[in-house]
Amino acid sequence: MVQVLVSLPDSPNQCPEWAIVDLQGSLETRQPVPLGGKFVGDLHFTKQNVPILIIGHHILYGKIVDMEKPFAVIVKDESSETATDRDTDKNTSVNYVVKALIKKKLLFKQRPKPIIANIPKKL
Amino acid sequence: MDSDQNERSLEDINTVLEYAKLELSDVKPTVQCIYFSQQLDNQSFKLLELDDTVLETLTNGEKVVIRGNTDDMAVLCTQTTTFEIKEAEISNSMLITPQLDIGEDVDDSGPQNTKVSKVISVMNNYYELRPCKPKVAKLKKLLEENMYSGKECEEDEQHQGLKYCFEDLLNIVQGSEVEIKESLKKLKACQIEGLWRVLDFDFLSQVLNHIIQLCEENDWLSTGIPLDECLETLGQLFPREVIAHVIDCYANEMKSGGQGDHDPDDQPMQIDAKFFSLSEDKICQFFAELVLKNSGKFNLKEFLKVWEQTVPQGMRTSLSQLEGIALIDRNCMPEVIWYFPVEDLPEDVGERFNTLFKTREKWSLAEISPYIRDLTTLKVDVGGLLTKYARASMMNGIKVFSSRKPVT
Repeated sequence: MVQVLVSLPDSPNQCPEWAIVDLQGSLETRQPVPLGGKFVGDLHFTKQNVPILIIGHHILYGKIVDMEKPFAVIVKDESSETATDRDTDKNTSVNYVVKALIKKKLLFKQRPKPIIANIPKKL
Repeated sequence: MDSDQNERSLEDINTVLEYAKLELSDVKPTVQCIYFSQQLDNQSFKLLELDDTVLETLTNGEKVVIRGNTDDMAVLCTQTTTFEIKEAEISNSMLITPQLDIGEDVDDSGPQNTKVSKVISVMNNYYELRPCKPKVAKLKKLLEENMYSGKECEEDEQHQGLKYCFEDLLNIVQGSEVEIKESLKKLKACQIEGLWRVLDFDFLSQVLNHIIQLCEENDWLSTGIPLDECLETLGQLFPREVIAHVIDCYANEMKSGGQGDHDPDDQPMQIDAKFFSLSEDKICQFFAELVLKNSGKFNLKEFLKVWEQTVPQGMRTSLSQLEGIALIDRNCMPEVIWYFPVEDLPEDVGERFNTLFKTREKWSLAEISPYIRDLTTLKVDVGGLLTKYARASMMNGIKVFSSRKPVT
């Protein structure tokens, strides 16, 4: 059997809190191009802390959600791999480290509203 | 590296805001422009939904362990609890954004400004944790591969099966350390020379009979067993760790030397001497097993007579001691009893109920409880299990439970 250890990093500042932008459906570009580096949208907060996301010609109103069960973002701990190799005979051991905790998300679950512009600029 | 260069100018942003019919005074001055990272990577990390207890364990600096192999599903264990890991797929896109200011983190006033936030990954799945029972049925099978029958038998052909230390067991059995230790205790497993073994039943009877005999000779049944003396006397016959283990399984430690109706002046103070008193229930259970094991269905009346005769003098047998060990059929003539230990039943709830209803069509609550109690969790008690897996009906004024679905 494989045993995988999961732990927080030794120092708590190495485990920051990240956030999730939760969108219904998926994001697509008109042409299927790699998404890497592409601009997604502008995120505003109203004075009442309502998140507003403007993506292309669409505006989305969302809300801040405190997640009842937070997420741990776990990644393979490359540094531990070599260390355990040396210390014990078990070479199968892989450890995961919690890279970040996610306790809050911006949930955009309403249908995006179109923005009607006179001259659609290149967005 | 990603450049943090923002292609968006305030002008761009404000044009869009205008189209969207939003006033600058409605929104906070900081605009976060969200980009996909150049190194957008949806593979290298995973999202694990944390249960409160797991989060607490982690923040206390403890590690949790994921234990899985190819044919079992993976479980996650803290020191004390086991969780099933289930992958959840969702149609929403979760944009993982490390540097995002949320709500109150964003200043209310100040000059309008922009900030770049990078999405490093888009996820459509995460792993859920659900508390579950440890998969300890395997433990019994593993330990039965090579049961201990005494030092002199270790070299013979029947005792060449694998033996396991605790670390080995952790590697094979999907359960937390505490749960595995509990199961080892339930299986009456004993650590002999660092390896966990169950005692062969015949060998166990030998050891136990010697202990009982010694008790009867020395009148220890009433005064309690002085552990050191007992180990000393029987130490030539059996390994001390085995004797101590059997005493631990079938006797309870007494508070301070001697107990009960003795005059306290009568007994000199004992320092560091451990005393044990044989447990009537456990000893009687053992003798019931001795009689019933390998003997099929047994006439109940005859069994009760034989059983009473085999237990040490002064001990009282009672049918309640047989809960979870033997079943009685009162509907046939003559009434019969047979060996039906809960440890031999499947640990999967569905299979357990199937086996139970195959054995007997209708069970009363008192009858079935000992056979499902080990399946209960904090959230689901015996009643809950029965509601889900059994159908209740009345028979001769007694509530009985039968299978919900055809028994296979």
